Amino acid sequence: MKSIIRVAKEGVIRHWRRIFLSTLSIALFVIVWQAYAWYLNANDPGYAGFIPYPGETAEAFIDSFVTEDPTGLLMTDHIFASLKRISLGFLLAFAIALPAGLLMGSNRICEALGMPIVEIFRPIPPLAWIPIFLVVLGHLWGPVAIVFLGIFFPILFNVMLGVKRVDPLLIDAARTLGAGRRHMFFKVVLPFTTPYVMTGIKVGLGIGWMCIVAAEMVGQYGGGVGYYIWNRGEFGHYDYVFAGIAIIAILGILTTGVASQVERRLYIWMGMK
Amino acid sequence: MEDLLKVFKQDKGEIVALKDFNLDLADGEFVCLLGPSGCGKTTVLRIVAGLETKSGGHVFVNGKEVSGAGPDRGVVFQEFALFPWRTVRRNIEFGLEIKNISAEEREAVSSKYIDLVNLEGFENVHPHQLSGGMKQRVGIARALANDPAVLLMDEPFGALDAQTRNLMQKELLRIWSATKKTVLFVTHSVDEAVFLADRIVLMTARPGKVKKTITVDLPRPRERTSADFISIRSDVLQVLDAEFEKTMMRERSDVGVEHKA
Repeated sequence: MKSIIRVAKEGVIRHWRRIFLSTLSIALFVIVWQAYAWYLNANDPGYAGFIPYPGETAEAFIDSFVTEDPTGLLMTDHIFASLKRISLGFLLAFAIALPAGLLMGSNRICEALGMPIVEIFRPIPPLAWIPIFLVVLGHLWGPVAIVFLGIFFPILFNVMLGVKRVDPLLIDAARTLGAGRRHMFFKVVLPFTTPYVMTGIKVGLGIGWMCIVAAEMVGQYGGGVGYYIWNRGEFGHYDYVFAGIAIIAILGILTTGVASQVERRLYIWMGMK
Repeated sequence: MEDLLKVFKQDKGEIVALKDFNLDLADGEFVCLLGPSGCGKTTVLRIVAGLETKSGGHVFVNGKEVSGAGPDRGVVFQEFALFPWRTVRRNIEFGLEIKNISAEEREAVSSKYIDLVNLEGFENVHPHQLSGGMKQRVGIARALANDPAVLLMDEPFGALDAQTRNLMQKELLRIWSATKKTVLFVTHSVDEAVFLADRIVLMTARPGKVKKTITVDLPRPRERTSADFISIRSDVLQVLDAEFEKTMMRERSDVGVEHKA
């Protein structure tokens, strides 16, 4: 009993130390930023406008939520527009990559048929499609298609990897317990692959955010955080540009955080942790 | 059960692993398959289980020829092979789910076997929280839940420490007498074979066939230190030593032969 309490205490201390160090890390960053902004203002005022003070950025951050920007939108509108595109791209990528990965991982013919196409398209940066997709598919589905490409391949490859790594011993065990092809798939292959699917989703979401910003910067309609950053930059509102960048960072952390939570819950529910 | 077994297997490079292997198991009999490593004892078991294809011969279970894996032959693996995402109960119910048995009946059956292998209180625990011995209890219960005609055990206690191993041997005999299953048990431990078996089948190495069958006619529970136990043990060892020497000789000469082949 005693030892359990001690372990718990140590856990708390470690937790607080972690929070302290994280805060320190961010504080140091802000201090360096502040110092650099001072330095520029004192020595190189011509460039000082590009690096606003942290305080100015914070003000711009708050202001972007309460005051309409030059396009008549609030930050919440932009966030909503970006989240919508990311979500659509993610759902489409997941809905296609998951069955495709399962199929290509478990069937040699499907793999032989699919791999050449995958290998041709995978090395192409999703952003290379911007000129085509944005014109053909428009301001909503164009960026969605680019995000889709970014998320699709990590999920596809991780699912394939998972299926190929299914423990042959578990296959043997299931066979001796009477499992046919269908049961093998749903009761062994699918649960075994789940952690790989989650890895694919997390990697995919990170790439998705990189894609959405660039795709929106070029797109002109319907808002979006990427568009917001671009638009504010054209007006020379660099404090607002930084605020937009911060928004992207926060959204990226939040979505990956949500994915990690889902993953954790899933593992606990499946008893893998 | 009439279980006639004649298996013939050729690996790549035409290595004859088993040739004219014949073995009958009587209903409710406990048979240990013993032999030097590489003699093909695990291959015999995997062929009977339907996990490996045979290149010739026949396997009969209850007079019916079998091919491919099936729930009439339960297998207990050395590495446990439990489904990590399933609880103890759900691991045991795996075969029943496949048979489309109703949830209530599944629970009744799994509870019965959880009691049998002494895992009460661990029903909802996942395999990674269990010790090796407990994992193998789940493995045994899972194989038995399908009510197989024969229980095939491939060095099931090989991954356990000595104490747990002895305990599990006693537990297995208790479970065996409670279920009256026919057991084919693969091991390389002479001690384990003499402690468990009605009959010990000693195998020759490459091509594997039955070298000698020794009936262990000792009452259970057996005392490892008794004179009878030690005498049977030394009989088995004698046969095994002769075979082991032959294997060593052959392996030495094989080094030259295999390159030519």
